[in-house]
Amino acid sequence: MSTQPTEADVDADHEVLTAFDDGKPPATAGVRKWLRFRFLIRFQSLLGLVLVLFGGIVFSPRRNGEILFLSADNLANIVRSVSETGIIAVGMTFVIIAGGIDLSVGAVLGLSGVLVARLMIDWDYGTVLAIVIVLIAGLLFGVFQGLVSNYLRIQAFIVTLAGLQLARGLARIISGDQFINISFGSKPKQAPTSFSLLGDRLFGGVLPVSALVFLGVGIIGSVVLNTTRFGRHVFAVGGNERAARLSGINVRYVKIATFAICGLTAALSGILDAGQLAFANPDSGTGYELTAIAAVVIGGTSLFGGEGTVVGTLAGALLLGSLNNILQLNNINANLQLIVTATIIVLAAALQHLASRRSNT
Amino acid sequence: MLEMQGIGKAFGGVRALRGVDLTINPGEVHALIGENGAGKSTLMNIMSGAITDYEGKIRLAGLEIRFSSPQAALRVGVATVFQELDLVPGLSVAHNLFLGQEPRRSRIFVDNSTMYRRAEDVLRRVGGGISPRTLVGNLRLGQQQAVAIAKALAVGEPRILILDEPTAALSTHEVERLFDIIGLLRSRGVAIVFISHRLEEIPQIADRVTVLRDGRTVATVPASTPQEHLVSLLIGESLGALFPPAGTATSKDRLRMENFSYEPLRPSPEWQEPHGINLTVRAGEIVGLVGLLGAGRTELLQVLYGTAPPGRQSGSVKVDGRPLRIGSPVEALRRGIGFVPDDRRGSGLVTTRSVTENLILADLKRLSTLGVVRTGRVREALRWGLPRLKIKAAGADAPILSLSGGNQQKVLIGRILLREPDLLLLDEPTRGVDIGAKAEIYRLVRSLAANGLAVLVASSELPELAGWCDRLVVLRQGRLVADLPPDTDPARVLALAGALADDTNTPQEP
Repeated sequence: MSTQPTEADVDADHEVLTAFDDGKPPATAGVRKWLRFRFLIRFQSLLGLVLVLFGGIVFSPRRNGEILFLSADNLANIVRSVSETGIIAVGMTFVIIAGGIDLSVGAVLGLSGVLVARLMIDWDYGTVLAIVIVLIAGLLFGVFQGLVSNYLRIQAFIVTLAGLQLARGLARIISGDQFINISFGSKPKQAPTSFSLLGDRLFGGVLPVSALVFLGVGIIGSVVLNTTRFGRHVFAVGGNERAARLSGINVRYVKIATFAICGLTAALSGILDAGQLAFANPDSGTGYELTAIAAVVIGGTSLFGGEGTVVGTLAGALLLGSLNNILQLNNINANLQLIVTATIIVLAAALQHLASRRSNT
Repeated sequence: MLEMQGIGKAFGGVRALRGVDLTINPGEVHALIGENGAGKSTLMNIMSGAITDYEGKIRLAGLEIRFSSPQAALRVGVATVFQELDLVPGLSVAHNLFLGQEPRRSRIFVDNSTMYRRAEDVLRRVGGGISPRTLVGNLRLGQQQAVAIAKALAVGEPRILILDEPTAALSTHEVERLFDIIGLLRSRGVAIVFISHRLEEIPQIADRVTVLRDGRTVATVPASTPQEHLVSLLIGESLGALFPPAGTATSKDRLRMENFSYEPLRPSPEWQEPHGINLTVRAGEIVGLVGLLGAGRTELLQVLYGTAPPGRQSGSVKVDGRPLRIGSPVEALRRGIGFVPDDRRGSGLVTTRSVTENLILADLKRLSTLGVVRTGRVREALRWGLPRLKIKAAGADAPILSLSGGNQQKVLIGRILLREPDLLLLDEPTRGVDIGAKAEIYRLVRSLAANGLAVLVASSELPELAGWCDRLVVLRQGRLVADLPPDTDPARVLALAGALADDTNTPQEP
């Protein structure tokens, strides 16, 4: 969506002017007003993020006049804390815009973590190869779910609910139902040192690698969704599946591809999780699917499909992270954090409902 | 009894009604007719309380009223049976009749025996021998219609009963039953507003007719008014001026079907299979598909475009001389076949997206390099499309739903035209489109035909096809029964389509 007026816009405006002739009132004023309103809704999460950041500055504890919330360390911490669910949320955005949902991501994260650990520790794979294999495995897991959902005509909710159980079960089998400690070194039963990079911080120990990966995934996701043919297809399939099919779009392929992307992001998160913690827990990532969905919803993506942005999702994830961070800095207990999160989700959904009601009248 | 004065209503920028006057007398059957988009449904929604923000005044028995909801209208005796019957298929007839106001025992438990007894009383008033214990989902459409009317009666005798296109999906026999019910109610003094676009029904059932056009009342006349006069009131004096002059067909066959049949693997009574079709559409020609509801018009187009349920084909179908394998839209588009579906909202518009996104949807491949959509090429496509299609929008990025029905339809036609098809299949291309946009669509398609496009168009409006097409082919129960010039006497065309046959008690004009 370009915000610059194109020549076509100008042409179209001219058309509206000629529309006065047939005695009909111009549609312009109302539509314009609505467009402005819609703009606010589309970027509600960015707006929310700004508000939360502002709140963070105001309510932040200070030390020697320095605002702790704004310290480089703290900001980096926020991004790191949301990086795993955030990466998943980017993949989830694709699935949800295409009209689906993926509940298996948290379990796929756990599965990927133990898989990458086993590959390196017990089967002597190098870092790069192990990571690539796990990424492909995550992608295939998504493809598999997509195939089942499309060819057996089972709703994504149900298929991925089953996928969640399946992935968790596989994770426990692969790990032997216990934590796998990852120690780094070149001896047998040790992971290559290069894998520890995932838990590092770059640029003088400020920027965590996971945060960098998160932002990278966000940028790639946003570019793919907005500039590619595939991105348009995702919107069309979620917005009106029959219209998409009649327009010659391979609807099944598009849907399966979104599950593949989501599986891929979940696997990436699992690898980061193992790298950061230096151990792999088969039960890691429990509940992450819901946090990711929350970030997507706060980001303005409609659960009915056909609408949404990756930027919104990024902002949604960061908003949740910042909020928790502020509450933590002020020593407000974790239970209250949940309640605040609940409020934010409902507010975001209510705003969207308001917007869609506008569009239907 | 019910007086409506200066009723106006706009949806967004689209004006649906501009000052409609309507008076309904007690005990009369008042037919309300109008083209699609004339404002019938909007008017009905205002009468029934479904639309509450409108301009103008409504008086019921001399008192000015403004309904806050359909329930409020029902309480003062204005009942409505909507076209989409609001029945729950999984519940019994009796439960549907008393939905939300079930008789209760101890104020908690549903008093089934009382309910079934009262349901039987109500059902007796509409006749037809429907058992209150049957599941609504197991009833035929005509019976469901009777249940919907009974539901309006279950609350108490209405003073006014509004029926929205009640005959649209009924068989001849079921229509007769419905008319019996209407006659019964009329004899008890109930006023009935009967919305229809089947002109031939009007002298049978109505006392007076009000004609709507472009959101205005054109006239209220006795139901005995000759049909031709009604048609001219409906369409306006400029019927002929709507249509562009005919073109000249070339001798090049674009589509050639010989003894073509298609049989779905899982046949369904709702899906009329094409049987032994012989049809040729030449380059430069617009061919109209005439047929009653269920004659197989849409099905034939679906088969050609590859969206029919999977099945077996026999006979031959060739596009530009080469056999066409009935497959998928992708296949059809590759062979130069374009299709614009009749269900604009359901299978056409991506309602969440902008005008641009909707327009370029089928042509993204050409507009992108290595999977990346090129904004420059999109702009070029818009520069080609917006003026040629005469799409009126607040901007290329305006939401598609902010456009009027006619402009939405132009976007959908444009979507397929960007693919530069050689054969264009149109299903009800002017449904819900205002007159101005209709004329533009006629002209646009005609000018494309002049450049060698072959067009096959299905429509339920015969005057439209007669004025627009070069040839009419008549479908009846999946078979192609006639191939006629467009100036054939409409009565004869309708007779061939089966509209008048076997229907001995339909009085026809001499």
